[in-house]
Amino acid sequence: MPTTAATPHIEVERLEVHFGAVPAVRGVSFSVMPGEQLTLLGPSGCGKTTTLRAIAGLEHGSAGEIRIDGKPVYSARKGVNIPAEKRGLSMVFQSYAIWPHMSVFDNVAYGLRVRRAGAAEIREKVERALGMVQMGAFADRRASALSGGQQQRVALARAFVFQPSVLLFDEPLSNLDAKLRADMRIELRDLQHRLGITSVYVTHDLEEALAMSDRIVVMRDGLVEQTGTPDEIYALPRSAFVADFIGSSNLIRGRNRPDLAADGLIALETPSGQVIYGSAYGRPVGDELTVSVRTVHLRLSPQRPAGERNVWPARLEKTVFQGDFTQVHVRWGDQPLIARCAALDPLPAGQEVFITVDPKRVVLLGA
Amino acid sequence: MSATAASAERWSAQRLVGYGVAAIAAVLVLYPVFYLLQAAFDVGDPQTRPPTAYGLDNFQVLLNYPRIMLNTLVVSFAATAMALVIGFVMAWILARTNVPGRRAFEQLMAVPYYLTPLLGALAWSMLGSPESGFVNQVWRALGGSDHLIDINTPYGIAWVMALFEGSVAFVMIAAVMKSMDPSLEEASQVIGASRLRTMLRVTLPLVVPGVLGAAIFVFAEMLGSFAVALVLGTPNRYYVITTAIYQLIQQYPPRIQLAAAMGTSLFAVMFLMLFVYRRIVTRGSYVTITGKAFRPRVADVGRLRYVLFGVCMLYLMVAVVLPIATLLYASVQKIAVAFPAADNFTLDNFRAAASMNAVGSALTNSLLLAFATATIGIVLMGLLAWLIYRSRLPGAGLIEYVVMFPQAVPRLVFAFGMMWAWLVFPIPIYGTIWLLLIAYLTVFLPLGVRTIAGVMLQIDKSLEECAQMCGAAWTFRLRTITVPLLAPGLIAAWLLLFIASMRELGASILLMGPHSKVITPSIVESWFGTASELTATLALIQTGVVAAAMIVLVAVTRRLGAQLVE
Repeated sequence: MPTTAATPHIEVERLEVHFGAVPAVRGVSFSVMPGEQLTLLGPSGCGKTTTLRAIAGLEHGSAGEIRIDGKPVYSARKGVNIPAEKRGLSMVFQSYAIWPHMSVFDNVAYGLRVRRAGAAEIREKVERALGMVQMGAFADRRASALSGGQQQRVALARAFVFQPSVLLFDEPLSNLDAKLRADMRIELRDLQHRLGITSVYVTHDLEEALAMSDRIVVMRDGLVEQTGTPDEIYALPRSAFVADFIGSSNLIRGRNRPDLAADGLIALETPSGQVIYGSAYGRPVGDELTVSVRTVHLRLSPQRPAGERNVWPARLEKTVFQGDFTQVHVRWGDQPLIARCAALDPLPAGQEVFITVDPKRVVLLGA
Repeated sequence: MSATAASAERWSAQRLVGYGVAAIAAVLVLYPVFYLLQAAFDVGDPQTRPPTAYGLDNFQVLLNYPRIMLNTLVVSFAATAMALVIGFVMAWILARTNVPGRRAFEQLMAVPYYLTPLLGALAWSMLGSPESGFVNQVWRALGGSDHLIDINTPYGIAWVMALFEGSVAFVMIAAVMKSMDPSLEEASQVIGASRLRTMLRVTLPLVVPGVLGAAIFVFAEMLGSFAVALVLGTPNRYYVITTAIYQLIQQYPPRIQLAAAMGTSLFAVMFLMLFVYRRIVTRGSYVTITGKAFRPRVADVGRLRYVLFGVCMLYLMVAVVLPIATLLYASVQKIAVAFPAADNFTLDNFRAAASMNAVGSALTNSLLLAFATATIGIVLMGLLAWLIYRSRLPGAGLIEYVVMFPQAVPRLVFAFGMMWAWLVFPIPIYGTIWLLLIAYLTVFLPLGVRTIAGVMLQIDKSLEECAQMCGAAWTFRLRTITVPLLAPGLIAAWLLLFIASMRELGASILLMGPHSKVITPSIVESWFGTASELTATLALIQTGVVAAAMIVLVAVTRRLGAQLVE
C-alpha cells in the first residue's frame, strides 16, 4: 500500500537510455513511494528492464534524472552518475546470479561482508534471512547443487539480508515453471509486506503484475503507456495497447452518437449500424470512438435476457474449451467478438445467441 | 555531493587500470610496428637513424626478387591444398561417420599442432633427405637406386607444413560440420532427394563458406611460416619470404631496409587475408552457425569404417608417431643411420645435452621466460579481456583491434620491428632476456586474450553485476567473484602461454643475445652447427617439457568442461 509519506522514495524523470544509436528508453517518468511495490509491465523490448537497470546504476542514461530519497543518483544535466555499488539498492536477477563457487551461506553473507559486519552478526542475519525464505536447512549446500526454485529463494535472501533501502526485481520468476511461479508470487508479496521495503518489479507476465503490485507502469517502445493501480489498469485501460496487453479485450470502433446518449453514458454506432452504450470515465469524447470490452465481461445466453441496453443478437461461430472457462467466438453483424464464459453448457455452432454487457464495462479508450 | 566525488574517484581507479593496460598493450604492439614501417620506407643511408629520407624504393627493389615470391607462393599453395585435404577428410570422418574411436581421435588431432613444425621438419629431414634419409636408406637396401623421396624440395617443405597445419584446418572445418543443423539435410531427404543429391545440393553449399574461411586462414599462416622452410629449404638455398627476411637481417652487412619492406609487404598481404577471413566468418552467410548445439548426424558407413579408421591412424602415424620415433631413434645413436650396428647405440647424446652449459642455460632461460610470460601474461591479458569484453569503457573496440594485431604479423617480422625499436630504446634491454619477455608478451597477446575471453564470455554478466548491487567495489568484486570464476580459464591461459613460450622460434631467433639463449633457436643452431643426433636429443627434451604442460592443460580443461556442464 502507498503510505502517507509525501516524498517519493524513487523518482525517475524523463529518463532516456540509448544503446549506441538505438533508443531503448525514450523519456520515462514515474515515482515510487516508500514501501510501495511498483511494477514495470510490458512486452519484451519495451524498455522495462533497461529502466530498472538504469535505476540500479548498471545502465548509463543518456538524458533525464533519477533521484533516490530526493538525491540525484543519475542526472544528465548535473553530470551525476553514482556507480551501482554506491546507490544502496539491491537487486534480484532473472538468472538468479547465484555464485557457483560459494556455499549458500557465503552467497547470502556477501553483502554483509562487503559492509564489514562482524562474524556473529553475519551468522545471525544470514540465518534469519534464510529462514524467511525457508532455506535454513541449506546453508552449507554448494550453491550449484540447488534447484531453480531454491536458487531463487537464495537470491532473494541475499538481496534483502543487508537491509537495502530498495529492492529491484528483474523478472525473477520467469525461469520457474508455472506452478512454482504461482506459489512464489504469493510468497514474494508476503515477504515484501513483512519487510516493508520499497520495490520495483519488472515483468512481462500480466497475472504476476496484477497480483503483486501496488501500482503498475505499463510500458511500450520505451515509453510509459499508462500508470495506475492494478484495478485501474485492468478496468480502465487507456489505450488499445493496454486493453489488449492487460488481459484479452474486444475492441469496437464506431461513430459518436451524442443524440442517443443518456444517463451519463456515451453511445456509439458501429459501421454496420449497431449502437453500443458505454462509459467515458471523464475522458474526452471525440467523433470517432474506440471502446474496449473485456472478454470476461460479455455475457451469453440462448434466450433474450431482460433489459434493453447493450443486448445484441449474435451468431455463435465456435467454442474452444479451455478448462476453467470456455472461449466463445461469436459474430455480431460483421464484428467478431470473443467471450470467455465459465460453466457454459455446450452450444452448437450457428446457434443464435444473445450477448449482453453492462455499459459500465464498455470503456472508452483515450485517443 | 560528497558521494558523487567519492564515486568519481572510484570510477577513475577502475578507469586508470583500464586505460593503463590499454596503453601498455598499445605500446607493446604499435611501437615495434612503427619502427618496422619506418625502416621499410627509409631510403636514406642505412647507417644513420633516424632515417634521412623516405620513399618507396625498398619496395621497388623487392621486384628484383621474383624467385622468392614465386617460391613462397608455390610452397604456400601446395601446403594449403594438402592441409585442407587432410583437414577436410579428417573432419568428415570424425564428425560425420561412425568410425571406431571417434572421441579419442578427436582429442589426438590436437597433438600435431603441439608438436611444432620445427620438430616435424627435423624429423622429416632425417627421414627424407636424399642421401642420408632413413627412408631412402631403406629404399636402397631394398634394391632401389638413388632416392625414393626428397624432402629438401618445395613439395617436401609443403608436405611437412601441411602435416602440422592440417590439424588447424581440421579444427576449423570440423566446427562447421558440427554446427550444421542435421535437419537441413533431413529435410532434403524427407522431400525425396537422394543421398548424393542431398550431399551435392545441401551439404556441400553449407560447408563451402567454412572451408573457404579455413583455406584463407591456413594460406595466411603458410605465408608467414618460418621453421620448416628454414630447416628444409636453406641447405639448398631455397628461400621463401620469411627465410629471406631472416637471411637479409643475419647476413653481413645486413640489409635492414629491404628486409623491412619484405616484412611489411608480407604482413600487409596477411592482414588483408585475415580481414577477408573475418568478413566471411562474421557475415553470417551461414545460417548453420547458431548458438544451438546440434547432435551432428552420423552416417553408418558399414565396413568402410575400418578403412576410415586406417586413414585416421595413418595421419597420426606420419604426423606424430613417425617424427617422434625418428628423433628417438636418432638420439640414441652415435651416427644416425637406418641400420645401425649394435655398438652404434649410445646414451651419450643425452649425457652431452645434460652437461653442456649452453643447453642448460638455454633450457633454464626458456623455462624462466615461459614462467614469467605466462604469469605476467594472464594478469595483463586477463585485464585486457575484461577491458575489451566487459568494462564498456569507451574505446574498448579499438583496443581489441590493437590486441589482435600481432595475429596478422608473422612473429619473425614482428620481432624484426622489435629489434629495430628496442635498439634505440634508452634503457639497454636489447640482447637481454627482458627483450624476449617483452616480445613474448606482445606476440602472444591474441592467444592469451582470446583464451581468457572465451571463458569470460561464458560467465553470466549478472554474476558480477549482482556483486555490484550487493555494494562491492570493483577490486573487491574482482577478487571475490571474477577471478575465482575465471580461475580455470586463467590456468588454461597460463599453460597455453607457457607452452607457446617454450616452443617460440620466429621472434626468439632474432632477439636472443649471446647471453640470453633460449631453447628453440638453440635447437636450430645445433642443427646447422653440430650433429643431428644431439639436435634430436634437444628437440626431444623440449617436447618432453611441452608434453608435460600439455597433460596438465588437458586435465585442467577437462575439469573446466565438467564445471561448465554442471
